[in-house]
Amino acid sequence: MAIVEFKGKTFDVDEDGFLQKFEDWCEEWVEYVKDSEGIKELSPEHRKVIDFLQDYYKKNGIAPMVRILSKVTGFKLKHIYELFPSGPGKGACKMAGLPKPTGCV
Amino acid sequence: MAFISSGYNPSKPMEDRITDIGPRSFEDFYPPVIKKNKGKWDYHEILKPGVLVHVAESGDKVFTVRCGTCRLMSVSLLREACEIADKYCGGHLRFTTRNNIEFMVTDEKTMEAMIADLESRKHAGGSFKFPIGGTGAGISNIIHTQGWVHCHTPATDASGPVKCVMDEMFEYFQSMKLPAMLRISLACCLNMCGAVHCSDIGIVGIHRKPPIVETEIIDNICEVPLAVAACPTGAIKPTKVEVEGKKVNSVIVNPERCMYCGNCYTMCPAMPLASGQGDGIVLMVGGKVSNRISMPMFSKVVVAYIPNEPPRWPTLTKTIKHIVEVYAKEAKKYERLGEWAERIGWEKFFEVCGLEFSHHCIDDFRDPAYYTWRQSSQFKFTSHVE
Repeated sequence: MAIVEFKGKTFDVDEDGFLQKFEDWCEEWVEYVKDSEGIKELSPEHRKVIDFLQDYYKKNGIAPMVRILSKVTGFKLKHIYELFPSGPGKGACKMAGLPKPTGCV
Repeated sequence: MAFISSGYNPSKPMEDRITDIGPRSFEDFYPPVIKKNKGKWDYHEILKPGVLVHVAESGDKVFTVRCGTCRLMSVSLLREACEIADKYCGGHLRFTTRNNIEFMVTDEKTMEAMIADLESRKHAGGSFKFPIGGTGAGISNIIHTQGWVHCHTPATDASGPVKCVMDEMFEYFQSMKLPAMLRISLACCLNMCGAVHCSDIGIVGIHRKPPIVETEIIDNICEVPLAVAACPTGAIKPTKVEVEGKKVNSVIVNPERCMYCGNCYTMCPAMPLASGQGDGIVLMVGGKVSNRISMPMFSKVVVAYIPNEPPRWPTLTKTIKHIVEVYAKEAKKYERLGEWAERIGWEKFFEVCGLEFSHHCIDDFRDPAYYTWRQSSQFKFTSHVE
């Protein structure tokens, strides 16, 4: 697929801009996605969502359901959309380096 | 072509953003006669195939001309429909829940002129652009899906087979000579988007081979537990495999348990299963959604496999035509296909339709399968099984 170069790093991504490998994730990736996802400044709240998504993925092998994301972070869905305008799937999961959401989306 | 901005500013995506406004209100698009008489309709009549008249308590009449469409259509064809609506209907038209177009007028003279105009419009290849029909006890449009035009999980095409079947059924679209309405639907995989599970005749794409597991990439692009949980028969197990000297997570598919539904591929792009020779079509019959006389019914599998034969699917169209013809001859007035089959008994249905009964049609999915077997000595001797 496509190769993205950003700040000296290269990332293997698919046509929707999701990382092909979770291990490729790094700080530069967050920086890179931030711009394309309409996020100006990364707040600690953004961090909290990304960290939780990554922890949950490492532990369970899947992305958490939206209800679980809300419950653990304490952010309502509306607030998650304020943080990540594209939503928890296209926005937050992409930034956290998780695989692209599948199913009838 | 050069880039032309709509005014959207990608560096400030949330600026001037309009959201959650919903669809336009249907009332904005009512023809005046509909607006005036809403909720006060007295009775209706079908004047001839494809043409209806509704009479209001005030005496107002609205004539409706229903035209078949291909559902998947270009802006030019839509513009042509708009041109017709402008010419005869004051710019109004509507689409039905089976994707037919309805043009509405208030006097008979305009209606006749519009019908003559509609019937004269053809594509360069010769097919009607706006064939009139689809009312009463006939065959209206086929509810269908994306197929090879746009979807990634189909086992057959949608637009292609629909065109072939409607070509074969065209006389029933333009007439009302069946015992009752006959609904045909098509879904290109077992997701069954649309109405195949509740139609008189349902056409469904199926696979006959298990998925291929792409072990090198599966752990990277799939959430493996989702693929495991996607399987209705528990055929998928997580496992570790070695790829280039590295242990990676993957799955194994037990081919004995796999019935090729393709659910795992929906959840996991690294488990493709489409196959040119393996894929084909299942025919289901006897479903309905209305509660007229009998309760709503699911359609049932009667032909386990028909190969994909693009571009004209001759075996499929021949089989459907035969079922429709036998139903038209044998069923009583008002009897839907499912009601007829249940009345005469499914063994008789197979006999009179000349369909071969195979063990594939016998339900074997979990406890409810038992209720589809015959726990009775009531049956008829039939000849077609040798």
